[in-house]
Amino acid sequence: MSHVIEVENLRREFGSFVAVRNVSFHVERGEIFGYLGANGAGKSTTIKMLCGLLAPTGGRARVAGHDIDHAPQRVKASIGYMSQKFSLYLDLDARSNLQFFGGIYGLRGKALRGAIEQVVERTDLGEHLTQTASALPGGIRQRLALACAVMHRPEIVFLDEPTAGVDPVSRRQFWKLIRELAAQGTTVFVTTHYMDEAEYCARIGLMVDGALVALDTPDALKAEYVPGTTVELEGSDLQRVLGAARQLPFVRAADLFGDRLRVRFDAKGTDLARLEEALRRAGAQITRDSQVEASLEEVFLAVVGRKEAA
Amino acid sequence: MKPRRILALADKEVRHVMRDVRTLYLALAMPLLMLLLFGFGVSFDLEHLPVAVVDLDQSTVSRTLRRRLLADDVFDDAGLYASGAEAERALVEGKAAMVVVIERDLARHLARGEHAEVQLLVDGSDNSSATQARARGELAVRAILASSTRELRIAPAIELRTITRFNPSGKSAVFLVPGISAYVLAMVAVLLTALTVSREWERGSMAQLFATPVTRAEIVLGKLLPYLLLGLLAVLLVIAAGGWVFDVPFRGSAPTLCLLSLLFLIGMLGLGLLISVVARNQMVATQLATMSSMLPSLLLSGFVFPIDNMPTALQWLSRAVPARYYVSGLRGVLLRGNGLGELWPEALMLGAFGLVMLALSTARFPRTIA
Repeated sequence: MSHVIEVENLRREFGSFVAVRNVSFHVERGEIFGYLGANGAGKSTTIKMLCGLLAPTGGRARVAGHDIDHAPQRVKASIGYMSQKFSLYLDLDARSNLQFFGGIYGLRGKALRGAIEQVVERTDLGEHLTQTASALPGGIRQRLALACAVMHRPEIVFLDEPTAGVDPVSRRQFWKLIRELAAQGTTVFVTTHYMDEAEYCARIGLMVDGALVALDTPDALKAEYVPGTTVELEGSDLQRVLGAARQLPFVRAADLFGDRLRVRFDAKGTDLARLEEALRRAGAQITRDSQVEASLEEVFLAVVGRKEAA
Repeated sequence: MKPRRILALADKEVRHVMRDVRTLYLALAMPLLMLLLFGFGVSFDLEHLPVAVVDLDQSTVSRTLRRRLLADDVFDDAGLYASGAEAERALVEGKAAMVVVIERDLARHLARGEHAEVQLLVDGSDNSSATQARARGELAVRAILASSTRELRIAPAIELRTITRFNPSGKSAVFLVPGISAYVLAMVAVLLTALTVSREWERGSMAQLFATPVTRAEIVLGKLLPYLLLGLLAVLLVIAAGGWVFDVPFRGSAPTLCLLSLLFLIGMLGLGLLISVVARNQMVATQLATMSSMLPSLLLSGFVFPIDNMPTALQWLSRAVPARYYVSGLRGVLLRGNGLGELWPEALMLGAFGLVMLALSTARFPRTIA
């Protein structure tokens, strides 16, 4: 069995509202699978169904080889889950939280102490063990929550918006941990709405309005949804020439990013010289140009745009 | 069902309690405080009742009668009046709760073995004091007259001898403390668990628990065990305080008391669990808990109002109130020195209630979060 998660036509309705519309995908063992989408797109609902927290109204899914409908207990024993809402026990200290979750997953005595020691070392929580969870800063809390979710060494760990509201430095540290976990063979299923984080994922599923509209590696998604090269121009009066830039026949798209103008060319080639000349004629000063890689943010906007056009 | 997981849950619960002094206060200090409040506050004992005397006889017998009447703490002197009309005014003004009118020729009638009369006027606006005042008054008058007639060597026609066992002095604390204990423990036990599960819902940690292999029955048991111990501690504290402060005897065996208390606590803690499973929010849970434990335990347990005096429908309803069995069980163990030989029906009913509560809590516990 190579697919550690197999999802087929999974569906969840809340009354007349369809939160997840017949989603199908699979996740390989040991990969970091990113689940992207706006708030309310159905990411959390999907995760909750896969963790056995929510019954699907249609379709089926196997997690770690167990059917989520027929063997939810076995599914739960094979996974770790870190929910969106911070759900450690804030009145208890870090060690008590670890002891509790270890106990819940059946660890005891020497095995429990060993597991705590290991996970504390991996997540670098040593100096915080005796601190009450409520006194820990956000980034360390997230690390503690992750430690609680993985200390029983699950096959798969589900992380629902694990870095929401955490500072950039802590986010980076957290993602380092996630990559280490995956390198050790743990499958990581993670939802996020930070597009920069999604770059770390081996594959990405994009959800819009409950439907999985795109699924591939970040590079393949960029090639498909944001083809052609993109240049970023710096200068003055760039916003004035935005309209002119968009009308050029070889320009696919032009957008302002801060005070910079980002222009995407047709797949054929780079007509940078012609572009700059046209913009100067329209009244802009260009001081600098650089070629940039398409971002997943652009992919996301393109996917949503295509979905809306359809 | 894995003991290891139940233990982990119970251990976590103990840590919560140790962190939060309020729970300990609720579990241990509240019952004691309420016992003292109720014990001193709710007393049916009659003491220091103002009594006015109208002595129209002015004989040795009549003076002895008055002196003896006022000799103990039950009656206080509210004055000696010359006429019945004056004494009655004292009654109306509330200066006296009872008036004793001694007829003019009491001593002479007694000496001749003739019909003698002493009149008791009682303020009936407070019914329960009136009943007791009348009974005490009658008793006092009869005793005094009996002794004086005996001095005169006249045999009374029939003598009624009543012996009240188990609570011979008729102290209401002895009778009330078991009831108060049951009432207080019922309330505290339900509140303890009603809040812990709903707290878990509000914190969002229930979702986290549901994502682990822990089962519903394990959560129910893990939540129950620590509070069972805490509750048992509260029982012992309350019983000890009852004995120490209110002289409530302990004539039965400790194991019987513990068994009954354990069964009762399982039922009430189970009720709390059921409430928090259904309510999911601490506000609603608190209200449901007080409503479902306080009122039945106060009104339908036989703690204040004897069940035998209730309308049939209420008598039937009281059968579903565990406090009823616990009150009668406690009175049995403490006052009558009963063992399980006499109290097995109570134990059975308490056990049944506990089982039903635990089964319902587990069954109503959602499997999933939505």
